[in-house]
Amino acid sequence: MKASRFVPAAFAITLLAGACAAPSVAPAAPPAQAPAAEQAPVAGAASGEKVKITHWFNITDGGEMANCIIDNIVKPFNAQNASIEVEAVTMANVWDASKTAIAGGAGPDLFDTPGPSYALAFARAGQLVPLDEYAKKYGWGERFAPWALNLGMVDGKLYSLSTEVETVVLYYNKTLFEQKGWTPPKTLDELAALAEAAQKEGIIPFASGNAEWKGVNEWLVGEWFNRIAGPQKVYDALTGKAKWTDPEFVKAVEMLTDMQRKGYFMGGLEKYYTATSDEFHSAFGSGKAAMNIEGTWFLPFIDNFFGEKANNTNDWGWVPMPSQDGKPLFNMAVGSTYSINKNTKNPDAVAEYLNYLFLPETQASYLTKCGLAPAAVKLDAASLQGLDPRRIEVLETLDRAAREGGYGYTTWTFWPAKTNTYLIEEIEKVWSGAITAQQYLEGMQKLFDEEVKAGAIPPIPVR
Amino acid sequence: MQESFPIPSKPSFAKVSRNRRLFRKRIVPWLFVLPVLSLNVLVVLGPALSAIYYSLTDWNGIGAPEFIGLENFRRMLFDDTSFGRAFLNNLIWMAIFLTVPVTLALLAATLLARIRRGAMGFRIALFIPYVLPAVITAFAWRFLMSPTFGLGAQLAKLGIPGLDQAWLGKPETSLFAVAFVDNWHWWGFLMMLFLAAMQNVPPELYEAARIDGASRWDEFRNVTLPGIRPTLIFMLLMTAIWSFLAFDYVWILTRGGPAGSSEVLGVLVFKAAFSNLESGYASAIGLTLSFFTLLIIGLFVMLRRRGWEI
Repeated sequence: MKASRFVPAAFAITLLAGACAAPSVAPAAPPAQAPAAEQAPVAGAASGEKVKITHWFNITDGGEMANCIIDNIVKPFNAQNASIEVEAVTMANVWDASKTAIAGGAGPDLFDTPGPSYALAFARAGQLVPLDEYAKKYGWGERFAPWALNLGMVDGKLYSLSTEVETVVLYYNKTLFEQKGWTPPKTLDELAALAEAAQKEGIIPFASGNAEWKGVNEWLVGEWFNRIAGPQKVYDALTGKAKWTDPEFVKAVEMLTDMQRKGYFMGGLEKYYTATSDEFHSAFGSGKAAMNIEGTWFLPFIDNFFGEKANNTNDWGWVPMPSQDGKPLFNMAVGSTYSINKNTKNPDAVAEYLNYLFLPETQASYLTKCGLAPAAVKLDAASLQGLDPRRIEVLETLDRAAREGGYGYTTWTFWPAKTNTYLIEEIEKVWSGAITAQQYLEGMQKLFDEEVKAGAIPPIPVR
Repeated sequence: MQESFPIPSKPSFAKVSRNRRLFRKRIVPWLFVLPVLSLNVLVVLGPALSAIYYSLTDWNGIGAPEFIGLENFRRMLFDDTSFGRAFLNNLIWMAIFLTVPVTLALLAATLLARIRRGAMGFRIALFIPYVLPAVITAFAWRFLMSPTFGLGAQLAKLGIPGLDQAWLGKPETSLFAVAFVDNWHWWGFLMMLFLAAMQNVPPELYEAARIDGASRWDEFRNVTLPGIRPTLIFMLLMTAIWSFLAFDYVWILTRGGPAGSSEVLGVLVFKAAFSNLESGYASAIGLTLSFFTLLIIGLFVMLRRRGWEI
């Protein structure tokens, strides 16, 4: 499930598109039926009137990000495009609203879903316009990393484009680490030893909490799956070659449960369940907590909790989430997907707007002006000037790891909807002792089998 | 021989008058009701009937539904352990709301009914939580209940330990903590209703009771309670019904967690429809919720028919 973050991601991915090309298997822009043949031409353009299309924006988080995008992305488009006017509509809980509206035959012209598995459901229901002809027309096959474009494929047709590329990393309080003489961990054993040492000194090992967003659970479960069982095993399970009940996954859940019960996350389960993002980020910045396992969406906001803004003198650093063998491993993710609503009267106009949104210069604006992570498109390095070097470092390390096959699978991008919800909700029953790790995974396997049968598994990039 | 002509029959005045009366009695009322009735069919009856249909289907809310008979109900009753837990939580919720806020409201209304000076100030102060949006109330209480920054934590700093607990973070207390917050916003409204009802009780009855030597408790038991019985019973009925519709505070404060400990049926419906894309299953749970509501209404109707003064 997307939204598995409090704030948008931001890391530069100049080389990401090329770097991630290797894992892809499916053709990037497969031939398909011509959508244009079924659609009305851009009406109004000939008469000099602008064609109006709608794009809904979520303001549940206060609307700061929505307003930034409207000001820096939508308004310039409206100013420069002579034939299309994008009407930016802001509303709370936009996903619930647009899902309901589209099912009722209305909704925004540009449709935003929380992730590929949701776009898949809408495509299967015939609610989305195939994008293959537009992909050819605008050259999306060359612009996007194939793995990212393939995430939008349903039954051989392209139905959605993925937005922000995300991954989860280990942030650490650099000042605290220097004071204590600690070294950022590379392996899981080092991570466990460090957590134990921190706790002995009265420091919370990991700043974390799910009071505002239950999806924090899946950051942890997903990381432990990929790191303990390994990304190949996760790939095998996602493609039906292995079972979620296999011992490697049981071990992963048991190890995470053990760490939760030891109070490594925020000082105990009760506090983990009640800590808000501000609360645990503040604990991290002030040095009450040593580390934070979180996505790259935290990068644009991390400075609010360190240094002058937070009234402390601390600094932060980051390393890839530790792995079994110490090699960098990044779980790949996308934030959300964009599609064209089947109910739109102007699919060509929406496609033109969609193309604009994924232009390298637009994606660079998302990143540099709003802090939002770019999609998996090739960006010009020059357009990223002024970014924090640590963000560039994330980019370079992610790039190297991806080239060497060091990538795994995030739950909110590659898990089907029901199994993903189960993964998030039911893990708390394991942590509370109500069910065992084995029972938890048996339940997951049962749901997963149902979703495989229903064809609800999003495309999985091969290894 | 005189020629006879048929005399055309004319409706008698009495017959015309009777037809008009029938028209006015039978048809005109329906004409008045028709606009509202049409609206009701459109926005209430239509969706209600479609919910019955969707509850018998496998439907993700966007595509074509597939008819699967009673499978959703079988799954709900025999496979889905969350349903039983949520149903039990709804019953606990109902028990809390039928007792705690009602008692508080009765007590406060009784005391306020006798206050003359500053009465309005008290009433406004106690009523204000009801008009605050749920999201504001919930966020404020989440902060107040924080084990790190909340009231308990501040008291602990002052040397009064014991209340710096993660009330919302413990499976054994989370449901009660959410109910506490909802109750905080709710009981003031109940008090206002009781207060209004109490002011309609004839003062002579209290005077007579006092002349007879009744104590305050006797007055409350024998004069006030019978006097406000219709309001009291109506609110008990509505509270029982609303208990099955609980959602907002649970969703904002705990999302039904931790570990499903504060899950109620309303939250299950939402998760099924919007997180799992299982609108058919969500309809089945929703329909079951409606069934419980009808059951409560039926119980009250039955008791009334048996002569209970409710």
